[in-house]
Amino acid sequence: MNRFVVGVRANLQTFVRTPLNVVLALVLPLVVIEGWGQAMAGLPSMPTVEGIPLDLGRLLGAIFGVAIITGLMGLVQMISAREADRRLVQTGYAPRTLLATRLATLAGVTIVVAGVNFGVLWLTIDVEAPLFVFAFLALAGVVYAFLGALVGAVLPRLFEGSLVVVFLAMMDVFLSGDSPLAADVPDFVQYFPLYHPKELLQSAAFDGTFAAGDLAFVGGYLLVLLVLVTAVFGATMRTAGGWSA
Amino acid sequence: MVSVNRTATAFGIGLREHARNYVLVALLVVLPVSFITLAFAVTQDVQMPVRTVVDGETTTVMRGMPEVHGVIMTPITSSFIAGLAGLFLMREARDTDGRLAVVGYRARQVIAARFGVLAVITLVVVAVSVGVMLIDFQPEQLWWFIAAMLVLSVTYGLIGMLVGAAFNRLAGLWIMLILPMIDIGLFQDPLFVQSEPEWWMKLFPGYHPVRVMVDTGLTTDLDTAASLGWGAGYLLVVGLLAVWVYYRGTRTT
Repeated sequence: MNRFVVGVRANLQTFVRTPLNVVLALVLPLVVIEGWGQAMAGLPSMPTVEGIPLDLGRLLGAIFGVAIITGLMGLVQMISAREADRRLVQTGYAPRTLLATRLATLAGVTIVVAGVNFGVLWLTIDVEAPLFVFAFLALAGVVYAFLGALVGAVLPRLFEGSLVVVFLAMMDVFLSGDSPLAADVPDFVQYFPLYHPKELLQSAAFDGTFAAGDLAFVGGYLLVLLVLVTAVFGATMRTAGGWSA
Repeated sequence: MVSVNRTATAFGIGLREHARNYVLVALLVVLPVSFITLAFAVTQDVQMPVRTVVDGETTTVMRGMPEVHGVIMTPITSSFIAGLAGLFLMREARDTDGRLAVVGYRARQVIAARFGVLAVITLVVVAVSVGVMLIDFQPEQLWWFIAAMLVLSVTYGLIGMLVGAAFNRLAGLWIMLILPMIDIGLFQDPLFVQSEPEWWMKLFPGYHPVRVMVDTGLTTDLDTAASLGWGAGYLLVVGLLAVWVYYRGTRTT
């Protein structure tokens, strides 16, 4: 338990002591939410193309902003600390404890990022169920943070990892985001990471309700990610039986 | 002669380093192919109003949404990848180029080699992106379209280098994701901006090149040659800044 607390504290200090990251994590949501909302609202309505209301554009900007900020954070967190993690494992840290500190830190920072995005939304649109909106933004962020961590555990370098996370997020937001530009969206889109969080967020913001099925799906998604990232991290941190990289 | 040899050696090593990274090479091909193909596959085939220049006059024409979407998705793809390539080339350079300087390399030799690697990666990405686009959509004036794509992608590659010099990895990644997204994907997208763009939208790197791409992709005459010139000027300024920053970095490492 003591090791876990020490690890989380160290990870948090690493993030907080880089003021630029903190400033960007606070400023970027505003840029993304307003940019997204204003731009989307400019789409003209045509017979088969519905215009996007400003508020919905802002909501989609918020979920994309949370996802991309936390996804890249998860990726960088895993890759940049790989060598240090390996040494800690060699000195006796259990890989699961180490991973738990990383994921707990990610979850903590994600809640703060979601809080900032929620704050911007709160100021710009009327939401029916504010607590749910905040919770679902945080949930979307945690999904992408863990996804970034998984990519970071699988791919050894930031360039490749960031390409995967960036393009996944872009495809995800285009297909899951109810884009009026899209038609014939394939069925597999419901397995994209943002599909169900977006459904939850939209219902909570505009109707004040949510579907339990969507929530269960996101919970299952998180569980699968957790199992995968634990397995991959454990494999990459294995130190016995050969040379360590 | 020694100078050229050294530059060629550093360039060749840099290129081999990336070419031997099979995961990276695969991603540079697979990601543009899947993203652009998917964008075409799911976009509604309806006519949409697009604001562009025809015979010197700004006017609204009706064009199919997949074509308009292709004009935006293709450069956004190459700009993302070129920007990230520039970012990571600069970050990696911090570790290795100082050593080259210690063994006798001049700053201009290292800079030429690094910029050469960035240029090759950008060319590959532009070629793949345009190649995939051509399966679903042929721009009205292909070569002008490609010229604007190159200007935009190289500009973003160099911006990535500048961001890599000024910011840490996480901040750099955030910026190089969000900047092309809001620039090309939102503020320059003719589907979203149906009136005269605000003055600050014109300051983004994508303004002039995307104007050219919309014109040359969707109309039969080139009416935006001046914009291509402005885009090239923007590229020149960013390039000079990048060289200066790199030069300083290499000398002080």
